Amino acid sequence: MDTNLVNYLAELSKLEFSQDELSKLSTEMTDIISLMDTIKEIDVTYDDLKDNHNVYLGDIRKDAAAPSMPTSKVLQNAVNTNNCFVVPKVVE
Amino acid sequence: MKLRDMRKALDGKEISSKELTKAYLENIKKYDDKLECYITVTEEGALAQAEKAQAVIDSGEAQSLTGIPLAVKDNICTEGVKTTCSSKILESFVPPYNATVMEKLNSQSIVMLGKTSMDEFAMGGSTQTSAFKKTKNPYNVDCVPGGSSGGSAAAVAADLAPAALGSDTGGSIRQPSAFCGVTGIKPTYSRVSRYGLVAFASSLDQIGPIAKNSYDCGLILNAICGFDPHDGTSSKLEVPDFTAKIGQSVKGMKIALPKEFFADGIDDEVRSSVLKAADEYKAMGAELVECSMPSLKYAVPCYYLLACAEAASNLSRYDGIKYGHRTPKADSYEELIIKSRSEGFGEEVKRRILLGNYCLSSGYYDAYYRKALALRQLIREQYNAIFEKCDVILTPTTPAVAYSPEKTADPVEMYQADICTVTVNIAGLPAVSTPCGYDKNGMPIGLSIIGRKFDEQTVLQVSDAYEQGFMPVAPKL
Repeated sequence: MDTNLVNYLAELSKLEFSQDELSKLSTEMTDIISLMDTIKEIDVTYDDLKDNHNVYLGDIRKDAAAPSMPTSKVLQNAVNTNNCFVVPKVVE
Repeated sequence: MKLRDMRKALDGKEISSKELTKAYLENIKKYDDKLECYITVTEEGALAQAEKAQAVIDSGEAQSLTGIPLAVKDNICTEGVKTTCSSKILESFVPPYNATVMEKLNSQSIVMLGKTSMDEFAMGGSTQTSAFKKTKNPYNVDCVPGGSSGGSAAAVAADLAPAALGSDTGGSIRQPSAFCGVTGIKPTYSRVSRYGLVAFASSLDQIGPIAKNSYDCGLILNAICGFDPHDGTSSKLEVPDFTAKIGQSVKGMKIALPKEFFADGIDDEVRSSVLKAADEYKAMGAELVECSMPSLKYAVPCYYLLACAEAASNLSRYDGIKYGHRTPKADSYEELIIKSRSEGFGEEVKRRILLGNYCLSSGYYDAYYRKALALRQLIREQYNAIFEKCDVILTPTTPAVAYSPEKTADPVEMYQADICTVTVNIAGLPAVSTPCGYDKNGMPIGLSIIGRKFDEQTVLQVSDAYEQGFMPVAPKL
């Protein structure tokens, strides 16, 4: 896996790496993908229907209103708050 | 001391819950600097809980775990107590709610000693990817305790807790249990609610107990299983008494030994120790059945593709906004997310996110992710075929005993070491690991008993039968 592909995956993953980290990851990911490639040896096809036969719609919880968590608790782990989640300006 | 004996001592007023709790807190003070099992020790809370539990005991309304101290893996949400997942990104995270398992344990008035270290986000088998405490193996502090529930397993082995909760996505309860010479069970997928368990791979994760023996594991399972409206995947099946079959003979039982689990790549001492255990089952009247599981060859890549795909999705919630590490350096929204994540996640977590997004990407999805889903179906079918003819399956828990932390540098080597445990998660089965011997250096070896879905009772019955004739050796601290 070359550094361009690692960079592309980093972009998809919302991560950033230095050039040194990219080179190291390029080697590591090549080895990891080579292990993953073992599955190409076997011919199997996924049957979508097989995995879903145990889901019954009746099992879904009723859409009933219940008390919400208080705002103070929801915000207790946010670093930047003004009684709401604060983010850098998005729209000019 | 075993949980069963503790119950008797507490109910018989031979010891109070506070005295018991203090004894474990003393052990933690004495040995945890060396072993680094705990990220957070909740001394004050534990003593307060012990007092409340004592009142319940004194009123004659004690349940099986009332007043008993337990440790909890640091990826299980505990209201008001830091839950870090051993990650910098959650270094200061204090959950505003309890995981369902904690609600269930608290309803029995247990005493929580603290939160144990683990591999970051449960991604690893050594507890060396922890950003805070790189736990040591109590049998040899120059070796890893296994992982990802390494803090829980080491704490139980070293008597820094009589039992603990762990979680198991690809072997994270069973492998550290094997490395630390204790017993741990991964329940059937859906037996235990995952609500409040910080998500790694949602189709594979399960919470389970680590203790000194199978009976104790059964006692804790009795307390934590059951349907939960907060977890749509939790089972509505009735929860039986998981200790009910313990003590019953295994005579006539068919125990399968899939040859691939004993092939090259399994350490000689591990193989011979597990095969010796198989002979002991035979001597007890069980029938050993040789069988095959050809798909084992593809189990590790199948597991890593599925687990990492799910992890990439689950971990996208860490954006530095609602909770978790937030970079002070960002000028834009995009930069805030990228820098917060890049500063907060460790190397192994980042590798797994990259792999997950790789196999979910256009052009690779069919070749990797969908193929892994097909392999999951094949692995399930092969397990079903074995269970048509046999009651349980016996395998080694790990290919080798605990190793030095230096060995963890190669990710591929680490992934391959999961060969004996991952298929159980892929197929959603219950499996226990219990000690069956020690290698020439005194490091513990574990055997695994894998059962049919929802048949934890038989799994624990079979592992207990072996434990009755096995003399465990305690670590020298």
